[in-house]
Amino acid sequence: MSADTNALAALSDQLADAVAQAGAATVAVHGRPRLASTGVHWRDGIVMTTEGTIRREDGITVTLPGGDTVPATLAGRDRGTDLAVLRIPAGRLPVATKGDPAALKPGHLVLALARLDELGARAAFGAVSAVGGRWRCWKGGEIDRLVQSDLVIYPGFGGGPLVDAAGRIHGLNSGGLSRSLATTIPAGTVDRVLDQLVERGYVSRGWIGAAMQPVRFNPAARQRLGLASEGGLVIVAVEPDAPAAAAGLLVGDVIVSVNGSPVDDPAQVVEALAGDAVGKSLRLDLVRGGQRANADVLVGERPRERR
Amino acid sequence: MISLAAAAERLRASVVVVRAGADGRAGGGAGIAWRAGGVVVTSAHVVDARDVTVVLPDGGAVPGEVVRRDPRRDLALVLAPRAALPPVRHADPARLRPGSLLFAVGHPLGVVDAVTTGVLQATGPLPPGLGVPGMPGDLAWLQADLRLAPGNSGGPVADAEGRVVGVSAMVVAGLGLAVPAPDVEAFVAGEALPRSASGRTPRRGRRPAYI
Repeated sequence: MSADTNALAALSDQLADAVAQAGAATVAVHGRPRLASTGVHWRDGIVMTTEGTIRREDGITVTLPGGDTVPATLAGRDRGTDLAVLRIPAGRLPVATKGDPAALKPGHLVLALARLDELGARAAFGAVSAVGGRWRCWKGGEIDRLVQSDLVIYPGFGGGPLVDAAGRIHGLNSGGLSRSLATTIPAGTVDRVLDQLVERGYVSRGWIGAAMQPVRFNPAARQRLGLASEGGLVIVAVEPDAPAAAAGLLVGDVIVSVNGSPVDDPAQVVEALAGDAVGKSLRLDLVRGGQRANADVLVGERPRERR
Repeated sequence: MISLAAAAERLRASVVVVRAGADGRAGGGAGIAWRAGGVVVTSAHVVDARDVTVVLPDGGAVPGEVVRRDPRRDLALVLAPRAALPPVRHADPARLRPGSLLFAVGHPLGVVDAVTTGVLQATGPLPPGLGVPGMPGDLAWLQADLRLAPGNSGGPVADAEGRVVGVSAMVVAGLGLAVPAPDVEAFVAGEALPRSASGRTPRRGRRPAYI
């Protein structure tokens, strides 16, 4: 055998070892008709999977690496981050060995794992394509880090782990977050959402109950009011009993800045409601009836039916 | 730098282009020199006529004859006595673990002797829910995360050491499917392949892309 062939065989063995290690904590989730999806035994007795692959609330089962199928109960789901928590009997399989997604760089070799049947863990192979900071996915949830790869997320691979060449699990792959590159929900986000779902049964999201749209000031008014920015956000609806109503915000008020930062895009307000904003106060600078004004809004929790 | 070049070079010496018809002008696929003496294996869906043209790695074309065909297992045996090619080494994919490196040689979309790489997913029946209408549900496949395209059919899928572990056949839901080497060996030896035991044949399912 040539040196090349030896090196290839060694790489092949290393990849298979990584699949074996991570596969020991990778389960098949039967929560929809026909094809199974995949889940990761994240903590003892807790399987994490993608929310979009759970199509029923009752009668969910999980097939373990040994081939046994056990009942699972849905302990919580969060559409915004595409994560769902399942409880299974404790002590049945190893807990996932996690890696640090912050250490991943474009070019790192990675695997996507799945378990769909009794044939064992399945694998797809590729490289990390892009990494980045915190972002908000189209489903509305906050994802702590951007991790994208050129892995093929085959049918049933959703909810399966992103695995590095040493067999460490860096997060859950979602088929539903991006069409171009495979997207991974990083371990930190999985932990955070899991904690909230177990504690409260839902993920708390900041909410003020006002609808708004961008508006531009006319130059004369802008000069008269001494406004630094060219536009703001005009409030077009205030929900009854919402934090915005309690703070006295009115339809027609124009929000100029939030906590001192100018705003001209509703996404900037959404950003101000992210993280641990619930229970904190936002200082809004306003234009109301042609005069400068301000209001303090106590950020509430988005009502359950809107999550 | 790790490279597949040596293993691929060796395998390409045993891979041919198979074209249906004596004039060799019809579309085709790939074929593998399975045994010495011009014993070539290809996919049944590549050859529907008795006479075929076998294009050798050196570019020369020789006549071949389809002597056995199994549409269910999607294999055909071509005898081309004038094709003096080194036979491939083959191995059972059941010996490999998921994640093991694989590579395919074929002629995807007409690119002759192209190499594509990937990893093994599983060897066995397709998972429930991924069945192909009309295909016995318990038929075993080498299932791979491997890019295959029309023109790969009948070509080899090999392991990291260049041993052929399957014959490329089709793509289902993006998954590359190949006939496992032991079934190929049994077919070449003229042994009866195991029939479907359960007879479970899905009526609904994914449409395969024959390659």
